Amino acid sequence: MKLRLNKTVAAAASSALLLMAVPAIGLASQSGAAAKPTYVIGYEGPLSGGNQQLGLNMVFAVQLAINQANASGKLPFKLRIATYDDQGDPTISPTQAQAAVANKKLVAIVGPAFSGATAAAEPYYHKAHIATVSPSATRVSLASSGWNNFFRVVADDGVQGPADANYIVKKKGIKSVYVVNDGTAYGAGLASAFATTASADGATVTPATVPGTSQCQNGTASATQYTAAATQVVASGAKAMFYGGYYCDLGLFLGALASAGYTGTVMSGDGSLSPALIQGTTPASAANGVLLTCACASSTNPKFNKAYQGLAHFSAANATYAPESYDATNAIINAMKHLKKITRAGIVAELHKLTFKGMTKIVKFQKDGNIAGSAIFVNQVKNGKIVQLGLE
Amino acid sequence: MGAFGHYLASHFTTLQKEFWYLLVGGVANGFLYGMVAVGYTLVYGVLRLINFAHSEIFMSGGFAGYFLMKALVGTTVPSGLSSIGLIGLGIVAGGLVGALVATALERVAYRPLRKRNAPKLAYLISAIGASYFMFNLAGKEFGRYSVSVPQPYINHAVFHVFGAPVLMYDIIIFVSGLIMLFALDRIVATTKLGRSVRAVAQDAETASLMGVNIDRTIALTFVIGGALGGAAGFLFGLGTGVVYTMGFTPALKAFTAAVLGGIGNLRGAMIGGLLLGIVESLSVVFVQAAYIDVVAFGILVAVLLFRPTGILGERLGRAA
Repeated sequence: MKLRLNKTVAAAASSALLLMAVPAIGLASQSGAAAKPTYVIGYEGPLSGGNQQLGLNMVFAVQLAINQANASGKLPFKLRIATYDDQGDPTISPTQAQAAVANKKLVAIVGPAFSGATAAAEPYYHKAHIATVSPSATRVSLASSGWNNFFRVVADDGVQGPADANYIVKKKGIKSVYVVNDGTAYGAGLASAFATTASADGATVTPATVPGTSQCQNGTASATQYTAAATQVVASGAKAMFYGGYYCDLGLFLGALASAGYTGTVMSGDGSLSPALIQGTTPASAANGVLLTCACASSTNPKFNKAYQGLAHFSAANATYAPESYDATNAIINAMKHLKKITRAGIVAELHKLTFKGMTKIVKFQKDGNIAGSAIFVNQVKNGKIVQLGLE
Repeated sequence: MGAFGHYLASHFTTLQKEFWYLLVGGVANGFLYGMVAVGYTLVYGVLRLINFAHSEIFMSGGFAGYFLMKALVGTTVPSGLSSIGLIGLGIVAGGLVGALVATALERVAYRPLRKRNAPKLAYLISAIGASYFMFNLAGKEFGRYSVSVPQPYINHAVFHVFGAPVLMYDIIIFVSGLIMLFALDRIVATTKLGRSVRAVAQDAETASLMGVNIDRTIALTFVIGGALGGAAGFLFGLGTGVVYTMGFTPALKAFTAAVLGGIGNLRGAMIGGLLLGIVESLSVVFVQAAYIDVVAFGILVAVLLFRPTGILGERLGRAA
């Protein structure tokens, strides 16, 4: 009895499947009639696991660029996306890269998203002459590892500190800077890169370490230290303070600086670029005017934002690296447009020659695959909101 | 004048210029430390135990004040009488929640151990466990970002001492800290409750033979210490915002202050707190802010080397 029932169910299910397959076959033959070849642009990044959101931010931007290119009707080919989920993990990345290489229709990759994953995957892509354009891998050494197929539309980790120093000293004309680091590897690295360039630019630099506090889970120092630290900043007579560290401690510092009567400029890096900075500053008005820099752009293009929201069902405003992923995809599509015969190696060669106006910046690659020109964005807190001012 | 003399001279000018500002900030911190330190000392007095979960009492007081201010303070910053009223309410809310949490802590983490005559080490583990439980629960429920407390007052310079501004926030701490610590001192010194607290601290067994209800006295000790800790949490949060880990370092400092003044000694805790706050703050004239903790604990070690029982000596029963 039981067996017979199962057989009936199975029969019903298989006939249903057959019915579903018929229209699908019909559709396939229709698109084939257009006689345009189909190429695949791959995306490699974290689409599951703890960093999934970052991958989702990117993959919708890639999909959007592809959809728009297909809809334009100007392409002599059709594009499709294929996704390779590496979870941001360097141990998973090589398997995904090999799967991408094995996909015959795949011509280029947007990604990999993470630096570690990129370093692990790149030997496979390089061997197969597949161009990889990363929206987010910022490790400096990636560009100097001899992979001519490696490109990135984002500035690397070594660029931010010096660019910030040039902005304060050369562009703003401030000649005395108090440079604080929070004692973390990130904060100390950024602050020392800033201090070196600021000194070279002719500014007087007063360096100081003000360790992260237990209030912010960045250390064990007491949040009450900022009263004293702010007094030192004021006493130094510096016209600007650069903070290498994270938003939470900076918020505490800003409150103390306001109390101590500090009126100079305050600048910090991407570690402080978060709306939580304003939430954590007492009073919130003490955060106004603070400059925050990042290699990442926030999308100020309303057309992109609307289309992105329509596709992703979440806002582009907080989708870190979505604008860069959009530019990376369009860089590949632009390179393909210039080619008579599209091959993997052809795209690599074309990307080296490419110049086009992307959404975040002019996309032109240096010989090593790094983006040319200034690629650090400066934002400012205005009336309790972070506003992007533009490139430094 | 040698290089060192020159160094001293240049630092002396900085010292003069900044001395008063740092002193004011240091006294404010000192009052906060003192208010938390008395919680450690009171509990140590009656139970001979360091209540390592006291940091979470401080934290819950901070959050109580935060939610109250969020509900009561509108878009315009209050001033005058309404400011005083709001701050009073915040202190009461912080104190109440602090007292509640302290009571719960005593019931759940300590009383069962006391009834079973558990060794002191068990109390310690129980306290640390309770502390971890509470701050992680707060992180889960209230989020893991530091948020600023809506300010119920305008933080302007009220007056200047030798050119250094004394801010509204500092004055709030001075006034409320003084009132609370003075009230506590009087309660312990003159009331019947105070007498029973001192009696239990001196000799719990004899005290119970004399008709002191030990359970009740211990519970009330937690209530008093918790109320002050919670109120201090609110005052601290006003200045720096609240977050689930906010109790850790201030409470550690307050514990240091309590030991500095003589653990178990009420006035010692107050003096230790003030001293620690002032010394920490003034030390940045000579060293970078990164070394504040080194100075604080260096002084603790130095004091304990010469006076192992702290500045005023141990024993709640005798000294207070």
